[in-house]
Amino acid sequence: MNKLKQLIKQPRVVIFLIALILCFIAIGYQFNTKGVAISAVEQNSTVYLAGMRSPGSDVSPIDREKVIGINNKDISNLKDYNEVIDLINLGETVTFTTTSGNYAFIKTENLGITLTEAPSSNLRKGLDLQGGTRVLLRPVSDVTEDQVKDIIDTMEQRLNVYGLTDLTIKSAADLEGKQFIIIEIAGVTKEEVKDLVAEQGNFEAKIGNETVFDGKEVTFVCRTGGSCVNLVNPSCPISGNGRTCSFEFEVHLSPEAGRRHQQITKNINVVAGTRYLEKTIDFYLDGQKVDSLSIDQSLKGIEATRITISGSGSGETVKEATKNTIENKNKLQTFLITGSLPTKLEIEKVDTLSPSLGSVFIANALLVGILSAIIVALILYIRYRSIKISGLITLTMLSEIYLILGVAALFKQNLDLAAIAGIIASVGTGVNDQIVIVDEIKRGVAGTLKQSIKKAFFVIFVAYATIVAAMLPLLRAGAGLLTGFAIVTIIGVTVGILITRPAFAVVLKSLME
Amino acid sequence: MFKEKAEKIFAKNYKILMAIPIIITIIAVIFIGVKYQQTGDLFNKDVSLRGGIAATVYTANLLTEEQIKSSLQVDATVRTISEVTSGKQLGFIVEVSDLNRDQLKERLQNLGLELTSQNYSVEETGERLGQAFYRQLLFAIGLAFLLMGITIFITFRTIAPSLAVIFAAFMNLTVTIAIVNLLGMNVSTAGIAGLLLIIGYSIDTDVLLTTWVLKKKEYGSLFQRMFHSMQTGLTMTLCAIGVMLVGLLVSNSIVIKEMFTIIFIALIVDIFATYLTNTGILWHYCKRKNIT
Repeated sequence: MNKLKQLIKQPRVVIFLIALILCFIAIGYQFNTKGVAISAVEQNSTVYLAGMRSPGSDVSPIDREKVIGINNKDISNLKDYNEVIDLINLGETVTFTTTSGNYAFIKTENLGITLTEAPSSNLRKGLDLQGGTRVLLRPVSDVTEDQVKDIIDTMEQRLNVYGLTDLTIKSAADLEGKQFIIIEIAGVTKEEVKDLVAEQGNFEAKIGNETVFDGKEVTFVCRTGGSCVNLVNPSCPISGNGRTCSFEFEVHLSPEAGRRHQQITKNINVVAGTRYLEKTIDFYLDGQKVDSLSIDQSLKGIEATRITISGSGSGETVKEATKNTIENKNKLQTFLITGSLPTKLEIEKVDTLSPSLGSVFIANALLVGILSAIIVALILYIRYRSIKISGLITLTMLSEIYLILGVAALFKQNLDLAAIAGIIASVGTGVNDQIVIVDEIKRGVAGTLKQSIKKAFFVIFVAYATIVAAMLPLLRAGAGLLTGFAIVTIIGVTVGILITRPAFAVVLKSLME
Repeated sequence: MFKEKAEKIFAKNYKILMAIPIIITIIAVIFIGVKYQQTGDLFNKDVSLRGGIAATVYTANLLTEEQIKSSLQVDATVRTISEVTSGKQLGFIVEVSDLNRDQLKERLQNLGLELTSQNYSVEETGERLGQAFYRQLLFAIGLAFLLMGITIFITFRTIAPSLAVIFAAFMNLTVTIAIVNLLGMNVSTAGIAGLLLIIGYSIDTDVLLTTWVLKKKEYGSLFQRMFHSMQTGLTMTLCAIGVMLVGLLVSNSIVIKEMFTIIFIALIVDIFATYLTNTGILWHYCKRKNIT
């Protein structure tokens, strides 16, 4: 008992305990989670108009807004949510009770909300554990740092239009000096999002060969409201092998664009016997013509600052054509709102990962961890014939895992399968170091315990330096896809050498005295 | 008694013992060289380093490898994933380089599978990117090796003992790659991360040995010091081997399995590299420098 009291007063043990407490806070494990967490709210969707918003990317997982009730029925998981929401008919009033308030709205076909099971801690799971989409893009031409920032900003805005905020967009340069943009979107993502991020989105409206306006001169895009945006022919008439629908929406233009419209149209004649001018206004997206509209004679020579833009979508069935039309409309509107990218991007890698086995993998990793601890404890017991030593090393090993997880949560580092392997590897070196310390103290032929520990730390430092040296090139190689693994491994060995090893040495010393 | 006998045997035979790993390393280098001659690569690359698609289907449908391959109609690698504790099949992984996303999905669906975002993962790597990954990760291994070498030189400041440690790391790397080739494994980006870990992971024992031999002369005779360090070192390696073995037997993630298989092989190679060659070199060095 006295020994324990003395130990707790040792600075190295105090640091270790404080680190454990800090990690406990950082991980913030929730013993009983309530509700389902909101991960995305589409702009101008039903729930958006009711006041709900996507979570900011800086909100930590456990602080996310959660839906805990629908029409006074408790919701504790996704199954509950789906059961309750399916029972409500279209057109009926729905009230969501969330952790921040109540939202009422009329149920529509697509509510525009994406939900996930409520996270039970602040540990961020990598895409291979929670499902999601990863896109790796490469600018086709050389870009400056400012342009990279610009690309990232524009992409963020584009994805935000779709309610996607649970995402990371970062630039990465590889060892050959190439620039990449990596986008990681957690959760299930619609197919269309992939096109959305990669396309440059350069919009131009031309009459003949003359440009009337481009995307930058659009000051307002009408997205909701009956009169200024609609599907032109909802029955999607047959065209070619399938059906085609078209859409129209109104945009407002800058005064300069209006004057250009006046200049260009004033010399165009009206086609005899019609209300339309001889030339059409043509819309181009990234150099591809998307649609043409006839110009009404009333617009001839007018400074038009309100203009209708149109486009279409086709498919084999009416449903498919309608879906494609809406997607094309949303895409075009997004490009007009967020502007174009400074350069073309090429998709180098696309990963779409299913969430279904995430929990199986996590449970399995835990099993690997527990079995590993047992094996190590057993080997050490056979070697030292001492439950104290083998137990202490095993306990230290487990606490080290917890510390690594805590630091990872603190630095918002995603933990994927490679990172788990990194944790196991760095804890493995930790065990090695502890064996060195034990043997050094046990064989402390010359000098005091303190000297023995000092000698042990020499080997430990060299081992630390080489493993960090081996991980450093990985921080950049391969467009940063293995950065997570390298960072977690470096965190692991650093936590070991700074926090657990010193504490271990002190405790061991007191055990052996 | 035992130690004295062992010392006599070692003193007499250390040159032969030392030569065994060196010969194995030379064979491994030749083996890798032949591979490079034939294929232009040091080892078999999976789609993440070659370009192509790795798709994972989570299904309870028990399909055989032949069924899947015949439906794909192109060169493909098929692996199954199963739950280790129950042996239940969870699904399978297909790797192809000659199909695009849509073609692959269509041909998999021809097997009667319904593929949704819930049960289907696709990882697609462009060919150019795969090649760039491969180049850079090899470069990373080279760079890591160099940084490790510098660390060792700074630490020991003597040429022969430092080179002995670096040789051990070189042997671990080359023999492991040769064994990986013999096993017919395809190496992915994760596998290369495993190879990198070898550099940091496997030289602990060599550093320990060299420290005991050169920096702890007060602890007993040269052989005694080597023996002590071997006791410690083997305990370390055994623990690590135990952990890797658990990982590669129990884990159901191919990422973890691949990494751990590679480290597992390297740890076993390291026992020979450290306690046959490195001790031999140090023994020879100490005898010449009159370190006892």
